[in-house]
Amino acid sequence: MTTTRRDFLQLLGTAGIVSLGAIPPQFLARAAHAAPGIAARDKRVLVLIQLAGGNDGLNTLVPFADPAYEKARPGIGIPKGQVLKLNDSVGLHPGLSGMRELYDEGKLAIVQGVGYPNPDRSHFRSMDIWQSAQPLNETPRDGWLGRALEWQFDRQPALAEALSLGTDKLPLAFVSTRVNVPTLRRLEEFQLVDGQASAANRNLTRAAQRQLADLPAANGSELNFLRRATTTALTSAERLKSLSSSYRTTVSYPGTSLANKLKLIAQMLTADLPARIFVVSLDGFDTHSQQLPGHAALMAELSGAIRAFEQDLVEHKLSDRVLLATYSEFGRRVAENGSLGTDHGAASMLFAVTPSGKSGLYGKYPNLTDLTDGDLKFNVDFRSVYATMLDKWLEIPSAGILGGDFSPIPIV
Amino acid sequence: MPNVPPPDGLLKPYDATRDGAWTIREATHLLGRSQFGYTPDELEQAVTGGLNATVDRLIATQPESAEFRQAEEALRKTAFATGEIADLKIWWLYRMWATANPLAEKVALFWHNHFATSNDKVRSIPQMLAQNELIRTHGLGSFKSLLHGMSRDTAMLVWLDGNANRKRHPNENFAREIMELFALGVGNYTEKDIQEAARAFSGWHVREGAFWFNQLQHDESTKTVFGKSGNFDGAAIVDLCLEQPACARFLGMKLLKTFVCPDPSTEQIDAVAARIRAHDYNMSPVMRELFSSQLFFGASCRRNVIKSPLDLVVGSLRSLAATVKWPPVARLLANLGQDVFEPPSVKGWEGGRLWINSSSILLRTNFATELASGDQIATLRTAILDMAAGASDAVATQIEKLLLGGHTDAALHSEIVTHHQRVEGSAEQKLRSILQLVMSLPEFQLQ
Repeated sequence: MTTTRRDFLQLLGTAGIVSLGAIPPQFLARAAHAAPGIAARDKRVLVLIQLAGGNDGLNTLVPFADPAYEKARPGIGIPKGQVLKLNDSVGLHPGLSGMRELYDEGKLAIVQGVGYPNPDRSHFRSMDIWQSAQPLNETPRDGWLGRALEWQFDRQPALAEALSLGTDKLPLAFVSTRVNVPTLRRLEEFQLVDGQASAANRNLTRAAQRQLADLPAANGSELNFLRRATTTALTSAERLKSLSSSYRTTVSYPGTSLANKLKLIAQMLTADLPARIFVVSLDGFDTHSQQLPGHAALMAELSGAIRAFEQDLVEHKLSDRVLLATYSEFGRRVAENGSLGTDHGAASMLFAVTPSGKSGLYGKYPNLTDLTDGDLKFNVDFRSVYATMLDKWLEIPSAGILGGDFSPIPIV
Repeated sequence: MPNVPPPDGLLKPYDATRDGAWTIREATHLLGRSQFGYTPDELEQAVTGGLNATVDRLIATQPESAEFRQAEEALRKTAFATGEIADLKIWWLYRMWATANPLAEKVALFWHNHFATSNDKVRSIPQMLAQNELIRTHGLGSFKSLLHGMSRDTAMLVWLDGNANRKRHPNENFAREIMELFALGVGNYTEKDIQEAARAFSGWHVREGAFWFNQLQHDESTKTVFGKSGNFDGAAIVDLCLEQPACARFLGMKLLKTFVCPDPSTEQIDAVAARIRAHDYNMSPVMRELFSSQLFFGASCRRNVIKSPLDLVVGSLRSLAATVKWPPVARLLANLGQDVFEPPSVKGWEGGRLWINSSSILLRTNFATELASGDQIATLRTAILDMAAGASDAVATQIEKLLLGGHTDAALHSEIVTHHQRVEGSAEQKLRSILQLVMSLPEFQLQ
């Protein structure tokens, strides 16, 4: 047992585990229970990076050999000579050198032609579809990860742990009627301030806050929701206090926001905290005009952060436990628009950093001359990607959660 | 004003003259939803004045004090001089806190959220301020004028790529959002409607900070939108949207969600939509009827709206603060997720339960700690500090009235009294301790 782990368990012991209602508040609090008897595969972790705004798949995985590509992208196409070629027909955006290294090391799977039937080109609707995995539900109430966490909670609550990092609000993917998933922006932000009351009064007030937040309230009411959330937050703050000093790495992360978030995840994994599913967001992919410089910066941020994170995991012997993937609400239209940008499209591609040595291209690159309303057609349903994560990685049966059987893709 | 028959059904006027129908609970329900918090004086006036007088006060334009006008102008000029959006934020926050017209500020925020535009892309104080003034001009007036104004508003045109919308290369951004987010809602238009409407808005550009009809880039050919064909321009598309039955329903749904109940039923939406149509999109009589309705005061609409960060922070300051340090307040609001003039996306703030997560709960708790015990954010009003004198029971009762609007049961009251007895120090320190406790309660996050 590491020192960190011991300190953490001691902290838990003194803080006590508060419980209320149907589900005890438990964020990061389950180490005490999770410690014995959890097989290594149960400590598998899923990290998802949401590329918000609609990433341009065509300029990310570039079909450089296809004349239709050059024709559709006279102003913003990536020149053949700059593409990081993976084979004779496709290659990566030049900003993705870190991803290229991962590919060569056998760690990067690229799924091509991902989408869903009757694509919606609204950011919000399409993001809702990706996050709820319910394309036909106009007003989804929960997300695919929220439903997965509920399934897990009913069987092994110690494993139903997740965290949204750096997002302003809880992503719909995590929304569930029963399991609270916390949102954390920065570790230092996540603490209670002392204020100017005397220590004795402060302690009395904190005790009263905890006690009054832990009262029962009508099921489903806003008050019940607030009480649960308050108890979760107060408990979590206590427990996170001791974490920040315990982590060291020789990897130098880029100074980007995404890199900071991934580093925080590495920090938590190193401290052996039990959260298993993390979602982080990288914004700015809605490239309607003057796309080239902005998109290049995003590609570099994505690649640099993922590369450093993976090296850090290797250094801490954690890389076997982590599957990382990207997703975005849609790709962009094949033809560039008149503002050297691209409008909302449909099918696109996604990355998965896999610990299973299964580098490669999966699915088919969509045909650039067989389009629907100017957009690429999908050949891999996004729910197949989710089925892979659930069935093959987290070992949570996907059919009930995704509302049907979707064949996994052999990336893990 | 045209002769409009009074509302019936769900929106029938609430009879506040019956015994027990107008208490501190009803008064704080109304003030909590229509203002950012309330001062002890406003609460007193509402309780004694009754429902009609309070709604009259809210809807009619009240004269602002000389002090307010001077401070408002100074802050606005500062923002212009520095060109910093942070200064314009403080200008608006000050208005919300100090105004004699709190409903106007709340409605302005409603429209800012509806037509959510961010300076992050607009990058212009004059344009952001002009949009805010457009909202103020029509906020309680005609939604028709507001929607027309927005389609020519320079901040909006920059925000949704107006200049990129050209004859040969239509840009769909504004056409999509006017249908999806400003007037109709998802499911009430087709992709084809958007593509055709985008052509009608082509050439609606910004030049030298002003709206400019760029005739060379305007598509003069026939467009077909909602099944009607013609050589439509942008104004014709706005009118076509306003004629759609979905428009009043969409607006009614948003009003209900913001001011009345977070999860409105179809029946409730239809009832409000009917009033919006009856008043020809004139907002002030619609708001008056909503705030005076049986629906609004019904049990299912009480204490079930989670306070937005502005409701919580500016509301608490309106109730408690004598002086405010605005820069830390503005930073706190951004951290809580409600950064005015920089909403997260064109969809605005969704609100409700999405305001709440572990980080925001801790920030809300820390705000309570700072405001009650410290001076980093604000100093407390003398009227509040004066409440410190007296027995535990009396002190607790006064604080509960002001901050929980009388929505306290015996058990909670007894806990607060006990806390007052337990904590040490002077009467003021004891008062500050229970202020801190009450402001950090889950109950305090509701209105």
